[in-house]
Amino acid sequence: MRRPRDGDLPAARGIGYPWRVPDFSVRRELLPLLGLGVSTEYGASLAAGALDPAALRRARPDFGGFLEVGVEIAKGLDAPAKAWAAAGWPTTYHFLDINLDEPEDLDPAWLAGVRDCIATLKPAWLCGDAGLWHFGRRDRGQMLLLPPVLIAESVGPLAEGIRALREATGLEVLPENPPGSAFVGDLHLLEFFARVAEAADTGLLLDCAHLAMYQRLQGHAPLDGLDLLPWDRVIELHVAGGRERSDGGFHWIEDEHGVELLPDTWAIAEFALRRASQLRAVIVECERNPLSAVLPLFTRVAAALPERLRPVPGDSQIGGGV
Amino acid sequence: MNPRALQQAIVRMMIDPAFVAAVHGRRPVPGLAEDERALLRAVDRRAFTTDRFRRARAVQALVEEYPVSAAAIGLAAVDAFLSAPEFAACVADRGSMALAFGTWLKDQASGIGVIEAAMARLRRPEPLAAASPGALICGPRFAPLLVPDGTLAWYEATLAWLGRHALQRLADHGPRPGLPRRGLTRRQGEECVLLEARADGGMDLGTASEALVRLLRFASQPRSRRALEAEAVTRGAEAHEAGEVIDDLLAGGLLVET
Repeated sequence: MRRPRDGDLPAARGIGYPWRVPDFSVRRELLPLLGLGVSTEYGASLAAGALDPAALRRARPDFGGFLEVGVEIAKGLDAPAKAWAAAGWPTTYHFLDINLDEPEDLDPAWLAGVRDCIATLKPAWLCGDAGLWHFGRRDRGQMLLLPPVLIAESVGPLAEGIRALREATGLEVLPENPPGSAFVGDLHLLEFFARVAEAADTGLLLDCAHLAMYQRLQGHAPLDGLDLLPWDRVIELHVAGGRERSDGGFHWIEDEHGVELLPDTWAIAEFALRRASQLRAVIVECERNPLSAVLPLFTRVAAALPERLRPVPGDSQIGGGV
Repeated sequence: MNPRALQQAIVRMMIDPAFVAAVHGRRPVPGLAEDERALLRAVDRRAFTTDRFRRARAVQALVEEYPVSAAAIGLAAVDAFLSAPEFAACVADRGSMALAFGTWLKDQASGIGVIEAAMARLRRPEPLAAASPGALICGPRFAPLLVPDGTLAWYEATLAWLGRHALQRLADHGPRPGLPRRGLTRRQGEECVLLEARADGGMDLGTASEALVRLLRFASQPRSRRALEAEAVTRGAEAHEAGEVIDDLLAGGLLVET
């Protein structure tokens, strides 16, 4: 049996090899450079007044470099997502239904559904909020999204789930910091995700809007603790508008995916764009807004991108290290 | 500390204000160690209730699955389930909220609850448990039910009364009176009902012979063919035709091999 070179792994990399799986610092060199893209989920682009990702790509190929498809296996892929994939345009797979820290959640039926969607989308990687996507089992009325409990004991189970999903799919799995109004635990969110990334030997997806929510709730300044993050593991960024809310004297930020960025979010995004030396992809989350409304936000984010993150769509390159 | 226990407590705090009060109260909270509880108490309790409609959405999901039961007991009673031990067990044990609601209902919605709980189970078929080779069991698309007389008519009338917007109707009008209840004697006024889940996800509900329903209920546990033939004879089949009865039920999917 021929031993593959570290940079020559097949699509099913990491599964059942009798030799050591390369470190993420090696594996990340295989990840394509996707540039600036847009997100969607089942039915989102079909709603009245919502963004049509294909129309965005036709109008501004540099803004619609790839599509991040939010997938709940019970719903599957909608027609626009399938059409995008059929055109051979780049995608990433954003899970919406897996509690990574619960081994029971990676059940055979769900994994079969994931593999079917991967076969259709051919995503560059998997990613998604590393939080609680459902209570009890996956069932009607039981889907939600809560952040992980930020304690040392949460790190191991979450890292195990990331490794297990990576091995089951052969694709990198990038955990994302989830949104929330209640963060429980004694670790800073970024320290927690730094530990998870180390334990799972994985890359990270940093959602700048979600981080702004956390910082505001904890009474931190937007950039507090950002040095805790292993920036060479940050592969993808999310940027989105949020809405400041208040009720009974309690203040929080709602993850609205609107087109108006909060200053905190933009400060984090600018910092991240400078520090994330291995960044491959940036998503502007704005799926429920019309094309004309989102263009200024895309223009602003595109102008802040480092030069190497502005590929011509269709020319996605392997690697992208600086 | 147990992160899963904490996460489950957070879910309950987001749905159940009574549980929030318990976490902040003086008494111990079952399933939570004191250091875990201290972490929860360190967060502003208002942070758990920013989504004002989370509990209402859970009620809505239950009403969509149990519309006629909800009409029988009212929205306030449906809402109370979310503070019940059965809901807590669902959160803790990777359960199904709909199935847990059916368990919690017990006899509150009488035969209507029996029917809609059976529908909830048929929508969530479990893999057949391994049994001795050749054992037969009631088909996974069918549920044989015994309910108080008049239940089926009340079910259909109430579905029509609810219309397409059951939640709105219940919010506007409250519970619908007249739910048929079981009589004082065990065999008084029973209706035999057969529920079938169609391939398209719909449900067919109708009366069936008592013999068929009781035979299928006997087959709710894996049974040998001989035992089922004997039960068929007990239920009125001629001995020489019992084998043919079982063959017919197998052909129709009412019985299946385990």
